[in-house]
Amino acid sequence: MLSKLRDPSEKTLAVMLLSPAFALLLAIVVYPIGKLIYNSLFAIDKDGAFLGLQNYVDVWQDPLFWNATQNTLLITLITVPGALIVGLALALLANLPFKRKWPVRLSLLLPWALPLSFAGLIFAWFFHTEYGVVNDVLMRLGLQDEPTSWLLKPRWAFAAICLTIIWKTASFMALILLAGLQMIPRSLYEAAEVDGANLWQQFWQITIPMLMPSIVVALIFRTITALQTFDIPYTMTKGGPGEATETLAMLIHKYTIDYSDIGFGSTLAVFMFVISLVVTGFYLNHIGKNAA
Amino acid sequence: MKKRQALKFTALALAAGLCAGSVWAQQTTLRVFVGPNQRPDLQQKLFQEYNKANPNVKVEIETGGATSELQRQYLSTVLNAKDSAIDLFLIDIVNPAQYSSKGWIEPLDKYVGGPAALRNDYLPVYQQANVIDGKVFAMPSQGDAMFMYYRKDLLAKYGVAEPKTWDELAAAAKKIMAGEGNANLQGLSIQGAPIEGAVCTFLLPYWGQGKQFNDAGGKLTLDKPAAVKGLNAWLGMVDQGVIKKNVAEVKTPDTVNEFKAGQVVFAINWGFAFDRFKDDADSKVKGQVGVMPLPAMAGGKSATCMGGWQWAMNAYSTHKDEAGKLIKFLSSKQASAFVAKEGSILPVFQSVYADPEVNKVVPWFKDALPVVLAAQSRPMVNDYGQVSDIIRTTTSAILARTKTPEAGVDEIAARVGRLMR
Repeated sequence: MLSKLRDPSEKTLAVMLLSPAFALLLAIVVYPIGKLIYNSLFAIDKDGAFLGLQNYVDVWQDPLFWNATQNTLLITLITVPGALIVGLALALLANLPFKRKWPVRLSLLLPWALPLSFAGLIFAWFFHTEYGVVNDVLMRLGLQDEPTSWLLKPRWAFAAICLTIIWKTASFMALILLAGLQMIPRSLYEAAEVDGANLWQQFWQITIPMLMPSIVVALIFRTITALQTFDIPYTMTKGGPGEATETLAMLIHKYTIDYSDIGFGSTLAVFMFVISLVVTGFYLNHIGKNAA
Repeated sequence: MKKRQALKFTALALAAGLCAGSVWAQQTTLRVFVGPNQRPDLQQKLFQEYNKANPNVKVEIETGGATSELQRQYLSTVLNAKDSAIDLFLIDIVNPAQYSSKGWIEPLDKYVGGPAALRNDYLPVYQQANVIDGKVFAMPSQGDAMFMYYRKDLLAKYGVAEPKTWDELAAAAKKIMAGEGNANLQGLSIQGAPIEGAVCTFLLPYWGQGKQFNDAGGKLTLDKPAAVKGLNAWLGMVDQGVIKKNVAEVKTPDTVNEFKAGQVVFAINWGFAFDRFKDDADSKVKGQVGVMPLPAMAGGKSATCMGGWQWAMNAYSTHKDEAGKLIKFLSSKQASAFVAKEGSILPVFQSVYADPEVNKVVPWFKDALPVVLAAQSRPMVNDYGQVSDIIRTTTSAILARTKTPEAGVDEIAARVGRLMR
């Protein structure tokens, strides 16, 4: 055995080199997920009775779960394409041949560097009925006579949250896309010009296809984080008014931390895990393949 | 050579460390969690005093979580993990039932002498809240209740007497607002954001009709029409312009700050706010603040929401004996009188309200005793976190007018009913 370790074959060496990373993954990924599923299945109620699959039935029948799932998916469907479009525009802008590049890059980085909860708190003030800048500007422009309570009306609150998320995440998109843009050789555009292609054609025939791998990577990251949306709605509305802006991650937090119901919270988390898995699988299977 | 020297040095350092460690072992350090509104500065003084008499016990303060809910979130994270890092904590009156049902807090009978220790002079509401199944789980430290604050100068200017019912209050507020002609002046400020205070916002006009939310056994006894009537009373005052339209955004500090800025005639808030109106450098209402019992609904009786903070011991603490002794000191009459004098904090002992030393500093405590004795407590149930969340979220949605009072009360009855039966 010892001699084998001293002079390992190719295969043994591979196992030896990979095992630390594998052990680490086991400890920080596989174990927590296993424990989560265990907690959801082996929960006991107040009287110590074994619940088994009851938590899963309860989650399925809980209107708050469906409300939160709907909100989460809606936020994903609105903010991911929204951030992609704004991010692409920002990346194209930053890619222009400025004399000084750093001010543009810095302003791109700033929203990304800001903690999510800060962004939420700042925008909550923007939309505040009395002290918010949004109402102030609208009233000065004469667009409204009375201040609107943006965050107290379900639809407006939802829109305000989506806007904040797009503002916050577009810069991350832009950074990835900017890196992609800089990989596109100039010679392609020069050749296109010689062939008489206008800017619009160049954009659709060269920029977008060449950028596709970056777009897919950015979309996957953004979608996964969008499914886990928590900080911005939590700081802006706490899920209100009522439960109109409550996301799945907020519901999980509420059950596990506020209500100390680890079993039910874990079951909700299993559902969220499955949703994330399905969406990511879809990306990798469809869009990822097409881009490659 | 160098290597050997380094080795020697390490051994020496290790030995020194061990020696220091054994001296250290006789000294116990207790870690204590106190919320920022519960005056950690005054607690620090109490700990210093305790340390003088017990030099082997050092107390470290940890603070955090601006509101009761945030503190509950933090402590439940620590306690769910069975963490022994914090030995004692100050918890809200609504929490002992929940914490004891989870096995998070240690029964204190051994250290303070059983439920008998809570009888006689402590306010009755604290005897109820802290004894669960015949065992003492927490010891009262700071009292609190919701009061009605008002502008003495404005009421005098318009010849208005202290209103006894909500209708009288609305009429008085409208008279003053019309007379002042200041668009920024609010008649009444209440808390409608989905925070713990909104639970009281729901209960005040309900209790004010002489109705009970739950029976002694913790079973829900919600009278739905009365609850709807109570919520409609608030909405009616919003329609009359007495309460501002965005009341569902108002949190406890908003009420404090707006009253301090002279923008509010009547304000409902906790007892701690009085000190802020009286002492804060930016207060524009110094010397003009009156305190009175909350108005009743027509035909009902005045009722207010009881608050207050108790010392509890972490069940996973590794210094239980020392922590138990410290709790006994912190829940003493002497400690209660100290925080009353230094911080205008409502005493938990009935006799301290009339203590001449205390009254010299806070004369209004004499009048506060009947209010506090008549105060009601929020339901003390194992699932309080959930009960509170349902009530405050729904109340806030009703005040934001995204739910009707009828639909909201039905929802509260159904969801809370499942937890309190």
